[in-house]
Amino acid sequence: MINFEEELKKFHPSLEVEDAEEAIYNQDLTDMADLLVKMLKESEEKSNEV
Amino acid sequence: MFCYNCGCLLSEHDFCTACGADVALYKKIMYVSNMYYNEGLEKAGVRDLTGAITSLRQSLKFNKNNIEARNLLGLVYFETGEVVAALSEWVISKNLRPEKNVADDYINRLQSNSSRLDALNQTIKKYNQALVYCMQDSKDLAVIQLKKVLSLNHRFVRAHQLLALLYMDSEEWERAERELHKCIDIDRNNTQTLRYLKEVEMMLVPDETAHQPAKRKKDESVRYQSDNEIIIQPLNMKEPKRTGASTLINLGLGVIIGLAATYFLMVPAAQANAKNESQKTITKISNESDARAVRIQELEAEVEKLTGQNEDLNQELENIVGADGTLHTIDELLLAASSYLENQDVQATAENLETIAQSVNIEETSEGFQSLYRMLLAAIGPDLSQTYYTEGNDAFNKGDFTAAIENLTKAVYYDEANADALFQLARAYHRNEDTENAVATYDKVIELFPGTTVARSAQRYRDELSPAE
Repeated sequence: MINFEEELKKFHPSLEVEDAEEAIYNQDLTDMADLLVKMLKESEEKSNEV
Repeated sequence: MFCYNCGCLLSEHDFCTACGADVALYKKIMYVSNMYYNEGLEKAGVRDLTGAITSLRQSLKFNKNNIEARNLLGLVYFETGEVVAALSEWVISKNLRPEKNVADDYINRLQSNSSRLDALNQTIKKYNQALVYCMQDSKDLAVIQLKKVLSLNHRFVRAHQLLALLYMDSEEWERAERELHKCIDIDRNNTQTLRYLKEVEMMLVPDETAHQPAKRKKDESVRYQSDNEIIIQPLNMKEPKRTGASTLINLGLGVIIGLAATYFLMVPAAQANAKNESQKTITKISNESDARAVRIQELEAEVEKLTGQNEDLNQELENIVGADGTLHTIDELLLAASSYLENQDVQATAENLETIAQSVNIEETSEGFQSLYRMLLAAIGPDLSQTYYTEGNDAFNKGDFTAAIENLTKAVYYDEANADALFQLARAYHRNEDTENAVATYDKVIELFPGTTVARSAQRYRDELSPAE
Protein backbone atom coordinates (compact mmCIF):
# COMPACT_ATOMS: atom_id res chain seq x y z
CA MET A 1 0.00 0.00 0.00
CA ILE A 2 1.38 3.39 -0.98
CA ASN A 3 1.87 5.93 1.81
CA PHE A 4 0.99 9.36 0.56
CA GLU A 5 3.26 11.23 2.95
CA GLU A 6 6.22 9.02 2.13
CA GLU A 7 5.61 9.30 -1.59
CA LEU A 8 5.26 13.07 -1.36
CA LYS A 9 8.78 13.27 0.06
CA LYS A 10 10.07 11.86 -3.24
CA PHE A 11 8.74 14.88 -5.13
CA HIS A 12 11.06 17.89 -5.20
CA PRO A 13 10.48 21.40 -6.47
CA SER A 14 11.35 21.76 -10.13
CA LEU A 15 14.05 24.23 -11.18
CA GLU A 16 12.70 27.48 -12.61
CA VAL A 17 14.19 29.17 -15.67
CA GLU A 18 15.71 31.87 -13.45
CA ASP A 19 17.66 29.15 -11.63
CA ALA A 20 19.09 27.63 -14.83
CA GLU A 21 22.31 29.67 -14.70
CA GLU A 22 23.08 28.53 -11.16
CA ALA A 23 22.27 24.92 -12.07
CA ILE A 24 24.69 25.05 -15.00
CA TYR A 25 27.51 26.53 -12.90
CA ASN A 26 26.99 24.01 -10.12
CA GLN A 27 27.05 21.00 -12.42
CA ASP A 28 30.06 18.76 -11.80
CA LEU A 29 31.50 18.10 -15.22
CA THR A 30 34.35 15.87 -14.16
CA ASP A 31 34.25 12.64 -16.18
CA MET A 32 36.17 9.38 -16.22
CA ALA A 33 38.46 10.68 -18.92
CA ASP A 34 39.47 13.62 -16.69
CA LEU A 35 40.19 11.24 -13.84
CA LEU A 36 42.25 8.99 -16.09
CA VAL A 37 44.32 11.87 -17.42
CA LYS A 38 44.86 13.13 -13.87
CA MET A 39 45.95 9.69 -12.69
CA LEU A 40 48.30 9.26 -15.63
CA LYS A 41 49.89 12.65 -14.98
CA GLU A 42 50.33 11.90 -11.29
CA SER A 43 51.97 8.53 -11.99
CA GLU A 44 54.22 10.18 -14.56
CA GLU A 45 55.26 12.83 -12.04
CA LYS A 46 56.01 10.14 -9.44
CA SER A 47 58.14 8.18 -11.90
CA ASN A 48 60.01 11.38 -12.78
CA GLU A 49 60.68 12.04 -9.09
CA VAL A 50 62.05 8.53 -8.63
CA MET B 1 38.73 10.50 -31.37
CA PHE B 2 41.53 12.81 -30.30
CA CYS B 3 44.53 12.32 -28.02
CA TYR B 4 43.97 13.66 -24.52
CA ASN B 5 47.62 14.75 -24.38
CA CYS B 6 48.30 16.51 -27.67
CA GLY B 7 44.89 16.66 -29.31
CA CYS B 8 45.94 14.75 -32.43
CA LEU B 9 43.57 12.37 -34.24
CA LEU B 10 44.07 8.87 -32.85
CA SER B 11 44.67 5.84 -35.07
CA GLU B 12 43.81 2.18 -34.48
CA HIS B 13 46.96 1.84 -32.31
CA ASP B 14 46.87 1.99 -28.53
CA PHE B 15 49.26 4.91 -28.48
CA CYS B 16 49.19 8.37 -29.95
CA THR B 17 51.13 8.43 -33.20
CA ALA B 18 52.00 12.08 -32.59
CA CYS B 19 53.10 12.22 -28.93
CA GLY B 20 53.36 8.54 -28.06
CA ALA B 21 50.99 8.73 -25.08
CA ASP B 22 49.30 5.50 -24.04
CA VAL B 23 45.64 5.87 -25.04
CA ALA B 24 44.40 2.29 -24.61
CA LEU B 25 42.45 3.01 -21.41
CA TYR B 26 41.32 6.37 -22.73
CA LYS B 27 39.94 4.69 -25.84
CA LYS B 28 38.07 2.15 -23.71
CA ILE B 29 36.48 4.96 -21.71
CA MET B 30 35.36 6.62 -24.94
CA TYR B 31 33.95 3.30 -26.19
CA VAL B 32 31.98 2.81 -22.97
CA SER B 33 30.62 6.33 -23.24
CA ASN B 34 29.53 5.65 -26.82
CA MET B 35 27.98 2.35 -25.79
CA TYR B 36 25.86 4.08 -23.16
CA TYR B 37 24.89 6.72 -25.70
CA ASN B 38 23.71 4.00 -28.11
CA GLU B 39 21.77 2.36 -25.32
CA GLY B 40 20.20 5.69 -24.39
CA LEU B 41 19.29 6.32 -28.01
CA GLU B 42 17.60 2.94 -28.29
CA LYS B 43 15.65 3.48 -25.10
CA ALA B 44 14.57 6.95 -26.17
CA GLY B 45 13.43 5.42 -29.47
CA VAL B 46 10.96 3.16 -27.65
CA ARG B 47 9.94 5.93 -25.24
CA ASP B 48 11.71 4.42 -22.25
CA LEU B 49 12.69 7.94 -21.26
CA THR B 50 13.72 7.10 -17.70
CA GLY B 51 16.03 4.38 -19.00
CA ALA B 52 17.35 6.74 -21.65
CA ILE B 53 18.13 9.39 -19.03
CA THR B 54 20.04 6.83 -16.93
CA SER B 55 22.07 5.59 -19.91
CA LEU B 56 22.83 9.05 -21.25
CA ARG B 57 23.96 10.28 -17.87
CA GLN B 58 26.24 7.28 -17.60
CA SER B 59 27.59 8.10 -21.03
CA LEU B 60 28.36 11.65 -19.92
CA LYS B 61 30.05 10.40 -16.76
CA PHE B 62 32.53 8.61 -18.98
CA ASN B 63 32.88 11.37 -21.53
CA LYS B 64 31.53 14.80 -20.75
CA ASN B 65 32.39 15.88 -24.32
CA ASN B 66 29.97 13.39 -25.85
CA ILE B 67 27.91 16.13 -27.43
CA GLU B 68 25.36 13.82 -29.06
CA ALA B 69 24.67 12.17 -25.71
CA ARG B 70 24.29 15.54 -23.99
CA ASN B 71 21.98 16.92 -26.67
CA LEU B 72 19.84 13.79 -26.57
CA LEU B 73 19.71 13.97 -22.77
CA GLY B 74 18.43 17.55 -23.08
CA LEU B 75 15.82 16.43 -25.58
CA VAL B 76 14.65 13.62 -23.31
CA TYR B 77 14.44 16.00 -20.36
CA PHE B 78 12.41 18.40 -22.48
CA GLU B 79 10.05 15.60 -23.47
CA THR B 80 9.36 14.80 -19.81
CA GLY B 81 8.60 18.48 -19.13
CA GLU B 82 11.90 19.21 -17.34
CA VAL B 83 12.61 22.38 -19.30
CA VAL B 84 15.36 23.82 -17.12
CA ALA B 85 17.29 20.55 -17.05
CA ALA B 86 17.01 20.38 -20.83
CA LEU B 87 18.20 23.98 -21.22
CA SER B 88 21.14 23.33 -18.89
CA GLU B 89 22.32 20.37 -20.96
CA TRP B 90 22.00 22.29 -24.22
CA VAL B 91 23.83 25.33 -22.85
CA ILE B 92 26.72 23.15 -21.62
CA SER B 93 26.75 21.36 -24.95
CA LYS B 94 26.94 24.65 -26.81
CA ASN B 95 29.81 25.80 -24.61
CA LEU B 96 31.70 22.62 -25.25
CA ARG B 97 31.15 22.80 -29.00
CA PRO B 98 30.13 26.32 -30.09
CA GLU B 99 30.05 25.50 -33.83
CA LYS B 100 27.87 23.04 -35.74
CA ASN B 101 25.90 22.05 -32.70
CA VAL B 102 22.20 21.16 -32.88
CA ALA B 103 21.82 22.38 -29.27
CA ASP B 104 22.18 25.89 -30.63
CA ASP B 105 19.11 25.32 -32.74
CA TYR B 106 17.16 23.93 -29.78
CA ILE B 107 18.06 26.92 -27.59
CA ASN B 108 17.19 29.39 -30.34
CA ARG B 109 13.87 27.73 -30.99
CA LEU B 110 12.98 27.96 -27.31
CA GLN B 111 14.26 31.51 -26.84
CA SER B 112 12.70 32.89 -30.03
CA ASN B 113 9.24 32.03 -28.71
CA SER B 114 9.32 34.03 -25.49
CA SER B 115 5.63 33.45 -24.76
CA ARG B 116 6.16 29.68 -24.96
CA LEU B 117 9.18 29.90 -22.66
CA ASP B 118 7.21 32.08 -20.28
CA ALA B 119 4.32 29.59 -20.30
CA LEU B 120 6.74 26.74 -19.54
CA ASN B 121 8.23 28.70 -16.67
CA GLN B 122 4.72 29.37 -15.37
CA THR B 123 4.01 25.63 -15.40
CA ILE B 124 7.12 25.02 -13.29
CA LYS B 125 6.13 27.74 -10.81
CA LYS B 126 2.61 26.35 -10.57
CA TYR B 127 3.94 22.83 -10.10
CA ASN B 128 6.14 24.05 -7.24
CA GLN B 129 3.15 25.86 -5.76
CA ALA B 130 1.09 22.65 -6.01
CA LEU B 131 3.84 20.83 -4.16
CA VAL B 132 3.70 23.46 -1.42
CA TYR B 133 -0.08 23.01 -1.21
CA CYS B 134 0.45 19.26 -0.83
CA MET B 135 2.89 19.84 2.02
CA GLN B 136 0.34 22.14 3.65
CA ASP B 137 -2.33 19.46 3.23
CA SER B 138 -4.35 21.69 0.86
CA LYS B 139 -4.90 18.84 -1.53
CA ASP B 140 -7.88 20.36 -3.37
CA LEU B 141 -5.88 23.45 -4.21
CA ALA B 142 -2.98 21.25 -5.29
CA VAL B 143 -5.26 19.33 -7.66
CA ILE B 144 -6.57 22.56 -9.20
CA GLN B 145 -3.04 23.89 -9.60
CA LEU B 146 -1.78 20.66 -11.18
CA LYS B 147 -4.68 20.63 -13.63
CA LYS B 148 -3.64 24.14 -14.70
CA VAL B 149 -0.04 22.97 -15.05
CA LEU B 150 -1.06 20.08 -17.26
CA SER B 151 -3.33 22.25 -19.40
CA LEU B 152 -0.24 24.38 -20.15
CA ASN B 153 2.25 21.51 -20.51
CA HIS B 154 0.60 18.12 -20.83
CA ARG B 155 4.01 16.37 -21.07
CA PHE B 156 5.06 17.25 -17.53
CA VAL B 157 5.46 13.69 -16.17
CA ARG B 158 6.11 14.70 -12.57
CA ALA B 159 2.92 16.77 -12.51
CA HIS B 160 0.94 13.81 -13.85
CA GLN B 161 2.49 11.58 -11.19
CA LEU B 162 1.75 14.02 -8.38
CA LEU B 163 -1.84 14.44 -9.59
CA ALA B 164 -2.22 10.66 -9.75
CA LEU B 165 -0.86 10.41 -6.21
CA LEU B 166 -3.40 12.97 -5.02
CA TYR B 167 -6.21 11.07 -6.75
CA MET B 168 -4.96 7.87 -5.15
CA ASP B 169 -4.97 9.55 -1.77
CA SER B 170 -8.58 10.58 -2.27
CA GLU B 171 -9.35 7.08 -3.58
CA GLU B 172 -10.35 8.31 -7.03
CA TRP B 173 -8.76 5.29 -8.62
CA GLU B 174 -10.12 5.72 -12.16
CA ARG B 175 -8.80 9.25 -12.39
CA ALA B 176 -5.46 8.19 -10.97
CA GLU B 177 -5.29 5.39 -13.54
CA ARG B 178 -6.06 7.83 -16.34
CA GLU B 179 -3.25 10.16 -15.22
CA LEU B 180 -0.82 7.27 -14.91
CA HIS B 181 -1.67 6.07 -18.40
CA LYS B 182 -0.86 9.54 -19.64
CA CYS B 183 2.52 9.20 -17.90
CA ILE B 184 3.04 5.83 -19.55
CA ASP B 185 2.25 7.38 -22.95
CA ILE B 186 5.13 9.83 -22.40
CA ASP B 187 7.55 7.63 -20.49
CA ARG B 188 6.89 3.89 -20.80
CA ASN B 189 9.25 2.63 -18.15
CA ASN B 190 9.12 5.06 -15.29
CA THR B 191 9.42 2.96 -12.14
CA GLN B 192 7.38 5.35 -10.03
CA THR B 193 4.57 5.44 -12.57
CA LEU B 194 4.56 1.66 -12.87
CA ARG B 195 4.50 1.26 -9.08
CA TYR B 196 1.53 3.65 -8.76
CA LEU B 197 -0.24 1.95 -11.64
CA LYS B 198 0.16 -1.43 -10.02
CA GLU B 199 -1.38 -0.10 -6.83
CA VAL B 200 -4.26 1.52 -8.73
CA GLU B 201 -4.97 -1.62 -10.75
CA MET B 202 -5.01 -3.65 -7.55
CA MET B 203 -7.63 -1.30 -6.17
CA LEU B 204 -9.70 -1.26 -9.34
CA VAL B 205 -9.86 -5.05 -9.81
CA PRO B 206 -10.84 -6.73 -6.54
CA ASP B 207 -8.99 -9.87 -5.48
CA GLU B 208 -11.22 -12.50 -7.06
CA THR B 209 -9.42 -15.52 -5.69
CA ALA B 210 -10.23 -14.43 -2.16
CA HIS B 211 -13.98 -14.47 -2.82
CA GLN B 212 -15.22 -17.73 -4.24
CA PRO B 213 -18.78 -16.56 -5.05
CA ALA B 214 -17.38 -13.72 -7.06
CA LYS B 215 -15.34 -16.20 -9.11
CA ARG B 216 -18.39 -18.30 -9.71
CA LYS B 217 -20.18 -15.23 -10.86
CA LYS B 218 -17.36 -14.48 -13.24
CA ASP B 219 -17.69 -17.90 -14.74
CA GLU B 220 -21.31 -17.25 -15.43
CA SER B 221 -20.66 -14.08 -17.34
CA VAL B 222 -18.64 -12.71 -20.18
CA ARG B 223 -16.47 -9.67 -19.34
CA TYR B 224 -14.94 -7.43 -21.90
CA GLN B 225 -13.60 -3.93 -21.93
CA SER B 226 -14.85 -1.20 -24.22
CA ASP B 227 -12.77 1.96 -23.88
CA ASN B 228 -12.78 2.69 -20.17
CA GLU B 229 -15.83 0.57 -19.31
CA ILE B 230 -15.89 -3.08 -18.31
CA ILE B 231 -19.01 -4.72 -19.71
CA ILE B 232 -20.32 -7.84 -17.98
CA GLN B 233 -22.74 -9.92 -19.99
CA PRO B 234 -24.54 -12.75 -18.08
CA LEU B 235 -24.51 -16.15 -19.81
CA ASN B 236 -26.99 -18.47 -18.19
CA MET B 237 -29.95 -16.16 -18.16
CA LYS B 238 -33.19 -17.85 -19.27
CA GLU B 239 -36.14 -16.07 -20.74
CA PRO B 240 -39.17 -16.84 -18.52
CA LYS B 241 -41.99 -18.68 -20.28
CA ARG B 242 -45.05 -16.61 -20.88
CA THR B 243 -48.69 -17.76 -21.12
CA GLY B 244 -51.52 -16.05 -23.01
CA ALA B 245 -53.17 -14.73 -19.84
CA SER B 246 -49.97 -13.21 -18.58
CA THR B 247 -49.46 -11.61 -21.99
CA LEU B 248 -52.90 -10.02 -21.77
CA ILE B 249 -52.24 -8.84 -18.24
CA ASN B 250 -48.94 -7.42 -19.32
CA LEU B 251 -50.62 -5.73 -22.27
CA GLY B 252 -53.27 -4.25 -19.99
CA LEU B 253 -50.65 -3.10 -17.56
CA GLY B 254 -48.74 -1.54 -20.45
CA VAL B 255 -51.83 0.34 -21.59
CA ILE B 256 -52.51 1.56 -18.04
CA ILE B 257 -48.91 2.64 -17.62
CA GLY B 258 -49.07 4.36 -21.01
CA LEU B 259 -52.23 6.25 -20.07
CA ALA B 260 -50.80 7.16 -16.70
CA ALA B 261 -47.61 8.37 -18.35
CA THR B 262 -49.70 10.40 -20.79
CA TYR B 263 -51.66 11.92 -17.94
CA PHE B 264 -48.66 12.61 -15.76
CA LEU B 265 -46.35 13.80 -18.52
CA MET B 266 -48.53 15.41 -21.17
CA VAL B 267 -51.15 17.11 -19.01
CA PRO B 268 -48.60 19.03 -16.93
CA ALA B 269 -46.82 19.94 -20.15
CA ALA B 270 -50.06 21.26 -21.66
CA GLN B 271 -50.81 23.15 -18.45
CA ALA B 272 -47.34 24.58 -18.47
CA ASN B 273 -47.84 25.63 -22.11
CA ALA B 274 -51.12 27.35 -21.30
CA LYS B 275 -49.48 29.04 -18.33
CA ASN B 276 -46.63 30.18 -20.52
CA GLU B 277 -49.06 31.57 -23.09
CA SER B 278 -50.99 33.50 -20.43
CA GLN B 279 -47.72 34.70 -18.97
CA LYS B 280 -46.66 35.94 -22.39
CA THR B 281 -49.98 37.74 -22.83
CA ILE B 282 -49.62 39.36 -19.42
CA THR B 283 -46.09 40.40 -20.28
CA LYS B 284 -47.25 41.86 -23.60
CA ILE B 285 -50.09 43.80 -21.94
CA SER B 286 -47.73 44.98 -19.24
CA ASN B 287 -45.26 46.19 -21.86
CA GLU B 288 -48.00 48.02 -23.75
CA SER B 289 -49.21 49.56 -20.49
CA ASP B 290 -45.70 50.70 -19.70
CA ALA B 291 -45.35 52.24 -23.16
CA ARG B 292 -48.63 54.07 -22.73
CA ALA B 293 -47.63 55.31 -19.29
CA VAL B 294 -44.42 56.67 -20.77
CA ARG B 295 -46.40 58.33 -23.60
CA ILE B 296 -48.79 59.89 -21.06
CA GLN B 297 -45.86 61.23 -19.09
CA GLU B 298 -44.41 62.73 -22.26
CA LEU B 299 -47.72 64.35 -23.16
CA GLU B 300 -48.11 65.71 -19.63
CA ALA B 301 -44.65 67.23 -19.83
CA GLU B 302 -45.58 68.76 -23.20
CA VAL B 303 -48.83 70.18 -21.77
CA GLU B 304 -46.90 71.67 -18.86
CA LYS B 305 -44.41 73.24 -21.24
CA LEU B 306 -47.14 74.67 -23.46
CA THR B 307 -48.99 76.02 -20.41
CA GLY B 308 -45.80 77.79 -19.35
CA GLN B 309 -45.37 79.25 -22.81
CA ASN B 310 -48.99 80.36 -22.81
CA GLU B 311 -48.54 82.10 -19.46
CA ASP B 312 -45.43 83.86 -20.73
CA LEU B 313 -47.24 85.03 -23.84
CA ASN B 314 -50.19 86.22 -21.79
CA GLN B 315 -47.84 88.14 -19.56
CA GLU B 316 -46.22 89.67 -22.60
CA LEU B 317 -49.59 90.60 -24.02
CA GLU B 318 -50.63 92.17 -20.76
CA ASN B 319 -47.52 94.28 -20.87
CA ILE B 320 -48.46 95.48 -24.33
CA VAL B 321 -52.19 95.79 -23.84
CA GLY B 322 -53.55 97.70 -20.87
CA ALA B 323 -56.16 96.49 -18.42
CA ASP B 324 -58.92 97.97 -20.56
CA GLY B 325 -57.60 96.34 -23.72
CA THR B 326 -56.01 99.53 -25.17
CA LEU B 327 -52.45 99.31 -26.38
CA HIS B 328 -50.06 101.11 -24.03
CA THR B 329 -48.02 102.57 -26.83
CA ILE B 330 -51.04 104.04 -28.58
CA ASP B 331 -52.12 105.45 -25.28
CA GLU B 332 -48.70 106.98 -24.72
CA LEU B 333 -48.62 108.44 -28.22
CA LEU B 334 -52.00 110.01 -27.78
CA LEU B 335 -50.88 111.35 -24.42
CA ALA B 336 -47.77 112.85 -26.01
CA ALA B 337 -49.85 114.46 -28.77
CA SER B 338 -52.32 115.85 -26.26
CA SER B 339 -49.51 117.19 -24.07
CA TYR B 340 -47.95 118.98 -27.01
CA LEU B 341 -51.19 120.45 -28.27
CA GLU B 342 -52.19 121.71 -24.84
CA ASN B 343 -48.90 123.09 -23.44
CA GLN B 344 -46.45 123.09 -26.34
CA ASP B 345 -44.20 121.33 -23.81
CA VAL B 346 -41.37 120.18 -26.04
CA GLN B 347 -39.42 118.46 -23.28
CA ALA B 348 -42.36 116.36 -21.95
CA THR B 349 -43.37 115.43 -25.51
CA ALA B 350 -39.82 114.40 -26.30
CA GLU B 351 -39.71 112.19 -23.20
CA ASN B 352 -43.02 110.55 -24.18
CA LEU B 353 -41.78 109.93 -27.72
CA GLU B 354 -38.55 108.42 -26.40
CA THR B 355 -40.54 106.05 -24.15
CA ILE B 356 -42.63 104.99 -27.16
CA ALA B 357 -39.54 104.45 -29.31
CA GLN B 358 -38.02 102.24 -26.60
CA SER B 359 -41.16 100.08 -26.11
CA VAL B 360 -42.05 99.41 -29.80
CA ASN B 361 -40.38 99.30 -33.16
CA ILE B 362 -41.91 102.30 -34.93
CA GLU B 363 -41.43 100.70 -38.36
CA GLU B 364 -43.65 97.77 -37.35
CA THR B 365 -46.55 99.90 -36.10
CA SER B 366 -49.63 100.87 -38.10
CA GLU B 367 -49.53 103.63 -40.74
CA GLY B 368 -51.63 106.01 -38.64
CA PHE B 369 -49.44 105.47 -35.63
CA GLN B 370 -46.27 106.12 -37.64
CA SER B 371 -47.82 109.21 -39.23
CA LEU B 372 -48.79 110.77 -35.88
CA TYR B 373 -45.43 109.82 -34.36
CA ARG B 374 -43.46 111.40 -37.21
CA MET B 375 -45.70 114.47 -37.16
CA LEU B 376 -45.01 115.03 -33.49
CA LEU B 377 -41.31 114.36 -34.03
CA ALA B 378 -41.22 116.89 -36.89
CA ALA B 379 -43.04 119.43 -34.73
CA ILE B 380 -40.71 119.24 -31.77
CA GLY B 381 -37.60 117.98 -33.59
CA PRO B 382 -35.81 121.22 -34.61
CA ASP B 383 -36.30 122.92 -31.23
CA LEU B 384 -35.31 119.82 -29.35
CA SER B 385 -32.36 119.25 -31.65
CA GLN B 386 -31.16 122.78 -31.05
CA THR B 387 -31.48 122.29 -27.26
CA TYR B 388 -29.48 119.08 -27.37
CA TYR B 389 -26.97 120.68 -29.73
CA THR B 390 -26.39 123.53 -27.29
CA GLU B 391 -25.94 121.10 -24.39
CA GLY B 392 -23.66 118.89 -26.45
CA ASN B 393 -21.57 121.82 -27.60
CA ASP B 394 -21.16 123.03 -24.01
CA ALA B 395 -20.07 119.54 -22.94
CA PHE B 396 -17.63 119.44 -25.89
CA ASN B 397 -16.09 122.77 -24.88
CA LYS B 398 -15.73 121.49 -21.32
CA GLY B 399 -13.91 118.41 -22.60
CA ASP B 400 -16.71 116.00 -21.51
CA PHE B 401 -16.85 114.15 -24.80
CA THR B 402 -19.04 111.29 -23.57
CA ALA B 403 -21.83 113.72 -22.57
CA ALA B 404 -21.21 115.67 -25.78
CA ILE B 405 -21.66 112.52 -27.89
CA GLU B 406 -24.84 111.62 -26.03
CA ASN B 407 -26.46 115.05 -26.50
CA LEU B 408 -25.27 115.55 -30.05
CA THR B 409 -26.55 112.08 -31.03
CA LYS B 410 -29.99 113.13 -29.75
CA ALA B 411 -29.70 116.46 -31.59
CA VAL B 412 -29.05 114.60 -34.85
CA TYR B 413 -31.82 112.10 -34.08
CA TYR B 414 -34.41 114.86 -33.65
CA ASP B 415 -33.25 116.84 -36.66
CA GLU B 416 -31.29 115.05 -39.31
CA ALA B 417 -30.84 118.31 -41.19
CA ASN B 418 -28.88 119.82 -38.31
CA ALA B 419 -25.51 119.94 -40.07
CA ASP B 420 -23.73 121.65 -37.19
CA ALA B 421 -24.90 118.99 -34.75
CA LEU B 422 -23.73 116.20 -37.06
CA PHE B 423 -20.35 117.84 -37.62
CA GLN B 424 -19.91 118.53 -33.92
CA LEU B 425 -20.81 114.88 -33.20
CA ALA B 426 -18.07 113.81 -35.58
CA ARG B 427 -15.65 116.14 -33.78
CA ALA B 428 -16.72 114.71 -30.40
CA TYR B 429 -16.03 111.15 -31.66
CA HIS B 430 -12.73 112.38 -33.03
CA ARG B 431 -11.64 113.97 -29.75
CA ASN B 432 -12.89 110.94 -27.84
CA GLU B 433 -10.49 108.87 -30.03
CA ASP B 434 -13.37 106.79 -31.44
CA THR B 435 -11.86 106.88 -34.91
CA GLU B 436 -14.30 104.49 -36.53
CA ASN B 437 -17.39 106.50 -35.59
CA ALA B 438 -15.59 109.76 -36.25
CA VAL B 439 -14.76 108.74 -39.82
CA ALA B 440 -18.29 107.44 -40.43
CA THR B 441 -19.83 110.65 -39.11
CA TYR B 442 -17.43 112.87 -41.14
CA ASP B 443 -18.39 110.86 -44.22
CA LYS B 444 -22.05 111.41 -43.44
CA VAL B 445 -21.50 115.19 -43.12
CA ILE B 446 -19.65 115.23 -46.46
CA GLU B 447 -22.40 113.19 -48.12
CA LEU B 448 -25.45 115.00 -46.70
CA PHE B 449 -24.17 118.57 -46.84
CA PRO B 450 -21.86 118.80 -49.86
CA GLY B 451 -20.29 122.16 -50.68
CA THR B 452 -20.94 123.58 -47.22
CA THR B 453 -18.33 124.88 -44.80
CA VAL B 454 -18.99 122.01 -42.40
CA ALA B 455 -18.49 119.51 -45.24
CA ARG B 456 -15.09 121.00 -46.11
CA SER B 457 -14.06 121.06 -42.47
CA ALA B 458 -15.25 117.48 -42.12
CA GLN B 459 -13.19 116.50 -45.18
CA ARG B 460 -10.07 118.08 -43.68
CA TYR B 461 -10.47 116.27 -40.34
CA ARG B 462 -11.28 113.09 -42.13
CA ASP B 463 -8.07 113.36 -44.15
CA GLU B 464 -6.17 113.82 -40.93
CA LEU B 465 -7.61 110.60 -39.60
CA SER B 466 -6.99 108.49 -42.70
CA PRO B 467 -5.02 110.41 -45.36
CA ALA B 468 -4.57 107.31 -47.53
CA GLU B 469 -8.28 107.08 -48.29
